[in-house]
Amino acid sequence: MIVAGVDIGSQTSKAVVLKEDHVFRSALFPTGTDLYAVARKVVENAAQELGHTFDDIQRIVATGYGRVSVPFAADTMSEITCNAVGAYHFYPDARLVVDIGGQDSKAIKINDEGKVVNFAMNDKCAAGTGRFLEVAAETLGVSVAELAALSRRSGNRIRISSTCTVFAQTEIVSLIARRTPQEDIAAGLHESIVSRVYGLINSIGPGDTGRVVMTGGVARNDAIVSLLASTMKREITVPEDPQIVTAFGAALVAKSRLGSE
Amino acid sequence: MQSILDNLKLRYSRRNSEIVKWKDDTGGKVIGCLPMYFPEEFVHAAGLLPVTLFGGNGPITHANRHLMTNACGAVRSTFEDLLSGKYDALDGVAAVLICDQVRFFFQVWSLDHEFAFFHQMWRPFNMSEASRPFLLNELKRLKSGLEEFAGKAITPDKLRESIRLFNETRSLMRALNDIRKTRPGLLKSSDLAKAIAAGMIMPKEEYNSLLKKLLVQAQDLECEPGEKPKIMVCGHPCGMPEEEILDLIEEMGAVIVGDDFFTGSRYFSVDVPCSGDPVEAYADFYLGLTPCTTYHYPQNWIEQDRSLSTYGDYVADYVLENGIQGVILLREMYCDPFDLEFVMLKKRLEEQNIAHITLNTGHEAGSLETQRTRIQGYLEMLSL
Ligand code: SF4
Repeated sequence: MIVAGVDIGSQTSKAVVLKEDHVFRSALFPTGTDLYAVARKVVENAAQELGHTFDDIQRIVATGYGRVSVPFAADTMSEITCNAVGAYHFYPDARLVVDIGGQDSKAIKINDEGKVVNFAMNDKCAAGTGRFLEVAAETLGVSVAELAALSRRSGNRIRISSTCTVFAQTEIVSLIARRTPQEDIAAGLHESIVSRVYGLINSIGPGDTGRVVMTGGVARNDAIVSLLASTMKREITVPEDPQIVTAFGAALVAKSRLGSE
Repeated sequence: MQSILDNLKLRYSRRNSEIVKWKDDTGGKVIGCLPMYFPEEFVHAAGLLPVTLFGGNGPITHANRHLMTNACGAVRSTFEDLLSGKYDALDGVAAVLICDQVRFFFQVWSLDHEFAFFHQMWRPFNMSEASRPFLLNELKRLKSGLEEFAGKAITPDKLRESIRLFNETRSLMRALNDIRKTRPGLLKSSDLAKAIAAGMIMPKEEYNSLLKKLLVQAQDLECEPGEKPKIMVCGHPCGMPEEEILDLIEEMGAVIVGDDFFTGSRYFSVDVPCSGDPVEAYADFYLGLTPCTTYHYPQNWIEQDRSLSTYGDYVADYVLENGIQGVILLREMYCDPFDLEFVMLKKRLEEQNIAHITLNTGHEAGSLETQRTRIQGYLEMLSL
């Protein structure tokens, strides 16, 4: 059995190719504008890593914003379901998954069978997403990784009042003009994203038992993870490769559909 | 069936020019009625054509100058159409003051634009027998206002005749709704909403005969029932629900078996009694309408063993009685009556373990792609 899951996100495309005994390889590319090409490339690369070719794959499930642009996928499935399936596979005691990706953030509540029981996604704009941090880092002239390091050194967290990414950028410029230390601005930006995500989590009634898992590109930012953990007063688990959890979930769905044919 | 449906959709889409055409053809007068619950039969019995005013979905450019920024989409888009001259052919306008936004907007309108006939009807928010005398008074005030404008008496017989005609419309609309409910796939929900809305802008005599033909043609059409999740869609108090959202829900494999739209069951569910005094009958009709977020039921708050949300009960009961798997709430942005009831509605659904999702919709609302993900995720949640 060889199956694949491909997750075409707004910023990054990920693929997981999976065979027996849950042996898998993954690949990741920036999404760009040609969704079909990137989907094909990312699946091919993951297959090669596993010592196979694209044609060896028996079933592919596509997820993510670009899921409808993957004609070679047998099915599409929302990233909400795939994310939950992936997180539950790695951590069967997970009851809440927080996923912060390039342009969206999600809170997903799952039950002891791994089924989604409630979820929420950010509304309309990029506030509370990875893109917010990217734009803010660019405005400060640092990388996203440096932004996290800066925030940890802050002694006086500034409150960023704009939740809109574009207005926050204006606010950062005026804070720079007032000679506010970069560390404090960075800490304020992290706080802003965490409070948005925390609001999203609370909107679904997250419960207070079970493991909290964080996935998506922003889960690599340990400043965000620890700030969210202290805000929620819960421990947060970050998988080894948090960006591929959704693609992994899609591959598991492909596997179960192949089995039921 | 399709050609009649297309005709109705076309009539709805060119609703403003339809007014001009009807006036040219008949020499009659047209009264624009704001949503919702306007007693159109009174206008008809006075020999005038009642036309429901739906705002457009184009950009808002003029109206923002006059209205507060948190005005709902229905109010802003209707005001935009007024300011851009789309209602110039109307002879009069009238509204039931269903919420504070309509009251405010309609009064601003009266300052800005003169119409030969301008009537605001106060409807009691308290839906109970105690409100009957007030309601009767308001109906009588409307009746005499129309009589004076039209120069014609609205006799009980004439009013009863109009009520009969409009009841026929409602019953034909219910039959159309049954097609969607029992033979999903034959009639898209977005087409149903437009076909219902066409009935609010066309003369009922013509509309009823078209709808009868359509129903005859639809009789023999079959469709595969399939194992699709059944959904109820609620919300959108006043306007046309977003076509794209309804289409997405159905494209993704759900069957919409019920709604509580103004361009849906809220318009056609209940008939006006035909016997007795017709003005009294109209008051009975108002007091027996299906629950809506724009009325209050104070008795429920006073008596301890009654539910606080009559609307929430109505939705939950409808879901349970019709074997529906979940509810999609279309939350019109800035609609305060819906927002105020929303919390209790959600609580009621949670108490009954009814899976639901809320989509913020309305004029210039968010991206369709995120809605697609939400809807797909929700339907997967119901069926996996
Ligand atoms: S009921 Fe809601 S949608 Fe209708 S006019 Fe009032 S605020 Fe607007």
